[in-house]
Amino acid sequence: MSAPVPQRPLSVGDMEAILGVTRALAAPFDLTTMLGEVVGAAKQVLRAERGSVWLYDPAADELVLEVATGIRPVRVRSGIGLVGACAQSRQIINVPDCYADPRFDPSVDRSTGYRTRCMLTLPLVDHKEVLVGVMQVLNKSDGVFDAYDEALATALAAQCAVALQRVRMIDALIDGERMRHGLEMAREVQMSTLPTAMPSVPSYDVGAAFRPAELTGGDTYDVALQGDRLLVMMGDATGHGIAPALSVTQMQAMLRMAFRLGADLDTAFMQVNNRLAETLPDDRFITAFIGVLDPGTHELRFHSGGQGPILHYQAATGTWASHKPTSFPMGAMPLSSLRPAIAIRMLPGDILAVVSDGIFEYQDPQGEQFGEQRVRDVVHAHREKPTAELVALLMQSVEAFAGAAPQEDDMTAVLLKREPARPAQRVFERSFESIPALVAFSADAFAHLGIDIRLLPTVDLAVEELFTNMVKYGVGSDAGVIVGIAAIEGGVEVTLVDRDVEPFDITCAPAVDIHAPIEERRPGGLGLHLIRQMVDSIEYEYKEAERCSRTTLRLTVGGPA
Amino acid sequence: MLVIDYGRDGAVVVAGRLDAAQAATAQAFLDGIQGSVTLDCAQLEYISSAGLGVLLKTQKRLLGAAGKLRLSGLKPHLRDVFVYSGFDQLFEIDPAQ
Repeated sequence: MSAPVPQRPLSVGDMEAILGVTRALAAPFDLTTMLGEVVGAAKQVLRAERGSVWLYDPAADELVLEVATGIRPVRVRSGIGLVGACAQSRQIINVPDCYADPRFDPSVDRSTGYRTRCMLTLPLVDHKEVLVGVMQVLNKSDGVFDAYDEALATALAAQCAVALQRVRMIDALIDGERMRHGLEMAREVQMSTLPTAMPSVPSYDVGAAFRPAELTGGDTYDVALQGDRLLVMMGDATGHGIAPALSVTQMQAMLRMAFRLGADLDTAFMQVNNRLAETLPDDRFITAFIGVLDPGTHELRFHSGGQGPILHYQAATGTWASHKPTSFPMGAMPLSSLRPAIAIRMLPGDILAVVSDGIFEYQDPQGEQFGEQRVRDVVHAHREKPTAELVALLMQSVEAFAGAAPQEDDMTAVLLKREPARPAQRVFERSFESIPALVAFSADAFAHLGIDIRLLPTVDLAVEELFTNMVKYGVGSDAGVIVGIAAIEGGVEVTLVDRDVEPFDITCAPAVDIHAPIEERRPGGLGLHLIRQMVDSIEYEYKEAERCSRTTLRLTVGGPA
Repeated sequence: MLVIDYGRDGAVVVAGRLDAAQAATAQAFLDGIQGSVTLDCAQLEYISSAGLGVLLKTQKRLLGAAGKLRLSGLKPHLRDVFVYSGFDQLFEIDPAQ
């Protein structure tokens, strides 16, 4: 904007007035005071009766006049009227006779009773050429505004614009600070509701980790004993800023309350969903997993509102089950009926992994997501470690995968593991009479250890064959035979320890010709032949010093038999 | 537990577990049969090499006297044992009912 050249030099008085204004404008830090200062300075320097400052709202492309505190501000679109025309053209508009100018709106005069004669309208543009607003001064006390006044006003306007812009920026900074502070507070509330310690549940190990994203995210989790049931919950609220942190906190509190009041899973899920549907804004919802474990029966029932996949590692088979949500996200809309909850049985060594989107969807610098398979791989690789360690390793794996890519969302993982059962072991008297007890022992061990029952007939056969061999050839030993059964991934491991005996490496026993004619067939060696056919592996180890042999065989579902 | 006895149609019915502990009982019974005999295995739950040995000895004796032992109703997991041991080649095995 080029300032009109004054027709005469600035008078000393006017110069002093403008310098005085500049000094005054350096002081205020709030917008209301600053606006008052600017208008006061303009009236003084231009000897005008009234003045006003319209602030430019770039988002709406409107000019806003703060009339008085508590009254809704007047808004004018850019391009409309004298103020709008000035904002659009960024040129000073000097109207000596307002009622002769079609752009003038006399309605303000009519409502106030004031009569506007002449008016100077000038743009407030800061030193970066940003339009800050429009200043108007009315009714010069001794005539109309002339070119000298225009030059004076232009000099003044530049000062005002810079001062106003400074205040607006400070305001924005303060607002931002307030926002950040609010976010921090909401985050603190969100974090404070997380359990500080995991409840102790016999034969279970629960571990959880929560890693908040820097700016926004709405994850939470909860693991709590309610009576003899274990409540396991994870939620992830949508949205940005403070809202998600607050909504998940609210959901968690409501759920805890519902369960404390004795609600069952279905009721709790439905009630909390419906209450959230009432209170959450229409565009927001919470994906949530809510599970209840009965540690006595090892049944875990859960609902998942849009949270998934829910991963279940099944130790007996070494496989994963991946469960889809049972319902839409919580709070999305009211529920009048509910699909049945999913019920799973936690067998020894099983792990339930409830993991938030922030982990599944974490992208590396090339844009690839961490994904479900990597979660499975990490959990599987470290399944024998305590869950607290396992969950930390999962977070580390995500970090290592992500490299320099920033964390966009909260990351949460809750792992529930049923302790692997201790191997079954018993000593059996060296006699065929022990066979029924051996059979019962194996069946018990299978049930107790959660081993696939399909493997039992082969184990029965193998144990009997090895045991009867020991009975037949271990004559002279009074020591009982120690039989151990342990669950391994996808199968079973059986050990027989025979004490005070001579070595006899069954793995070196001669092969049986199963195609020989019947006259040449002998029953001897047939048992060992069968075992070798039907198990995955068999090992024999003899300790000379202790005169003790150990036979170990492994068998898995899908193995040779 | 093992139960072995004649059934209604002259077949020998064997039920339960034919293991090392029961082999002697089974052998004692089968030593008394003659000619061509069907062994009804529909209720046989288990057989180990000790049981196979009993059947082998019986088959050899019957074949020597122009008789034979035929098996019927073997459960699939027991049929596997016969296949792995080659005993499916020593006996005529009727499919399970």
